[in-house]
Amino acid sequence: MRRDLLDILCCPVCKGGLVLTVVEENDEEILEGSLLCEACGASYPICAGIPNLLPPGIE
Amino acid sequence: MKEHDVRRRVRSEYGRVARQEHSSCGCGSGCCGTGRSVESVGLGLGYSAEDLGQAPEGANLGLGCGNPVALATLREGETVLDLGSGGGFDCFLAAERVGETGRVIGVDMTPDMLDRARGNARKAGYTNVEFRLGEIEHLPVADNTVDAVISNCVINLSPDKARVFAEAFRVLRPGGRLMVSDIVLTMPLPEPIRESEVFYTSCVAGALQKEDYLGHIAAAGFEEIAVVGETVFPLDHIVSEPTLAAAVAAASLDEAERRALLESIVSIKVGARKPAGCTCSGTG
Repeated sequence: MRRDLLDILCCPVCKGGLVLTVVEENDEEILEGSLLCEACGASYPICAGIPNLLPPGIE
Repeated sequence: MKEHDVRRRVRSEYGRVARQEHSSCGCGSGCCGTGRSVESVGLGLGYSAEDLGQAPEGANLGLGCGNPVALATLREGETVLDLGSGGGFDCFLAAERVGETGRVIGVDMTPDMLDRARGNARKAGYTNVEFRLGEIEHLPVADNTVDAVISNCVINLSPDKARVFAEAFRVLRPGGRLMVSDIVLTMPLPEPIRESEVFYTSCVAGALQKEDYLGHIAAAGFEEIAVVGETVFPLDHIVSEPTLAAAVAAASLDEAERRALLESIVSIKVGARKPAGCTCSGTG
């Protein structure tokens, strides 16, 4: 995912803002990392460039 | 099926479709095998030949039931959200229209679909399209940030359609547009068909009565709701697939009932708008 799209993302459950942690990125985008909800504390992984923003508890 | 089972079943079935090397051929995962190409079905659904040529190879899985981009009147610089983006076909067409200054976000709950969509985006060099793994009932998108929400034959698969429309309303900017194609029904389905899993994942058993579908859009707060296209879903999309044909046969319908059933499955294109002065996040 690209950094400039972070501004319109939110937590799918409580709609709180997300804080990005980058593990790996290239010139264009974040490849591995996570998004943490400031409001409810839920954590969403970014794997192979795709943020997993399914509500927690979904297998 | 329970809500949880519906999601699992839909995810599993569309994951299987995403992993296939070749594209499918019409709305629903259960209607392949008609022998027609994705392109011939695409033209019948209202995509132009130019549209079909523009998107990267492999993006059009032929799973839609109409072309929402044609009616979305997208403009340069707009932000577009595609609910149930699948292989990314409609996202790429939207990306062409909103240009470099715009952006398109596809949300889909099937990881295999997103892998495929992302691969297609990379192959074609799109820099203004992004994909998110997410549920359309719980959109990971902030309030009042999107100019147009599009969706192509997906909302019928949701076990909570009211919530989908409430979420679409929430993320749209004041004055933002909802432009969706979907399957609806003009009469109740016979019970064996209504209970059929294969008819659910084929976009039929989960479909609402048309007035209920439009009622959910109104209840979410939308105005200027207009059905801008309506066609009976082509028979051969449904009955040429052996599993579906068997399910129809098992319902033991007489000829008149069978004809009524097939004529009651309708593809509609609906447009609606979030009121211009409304910065509320909706009822959901």
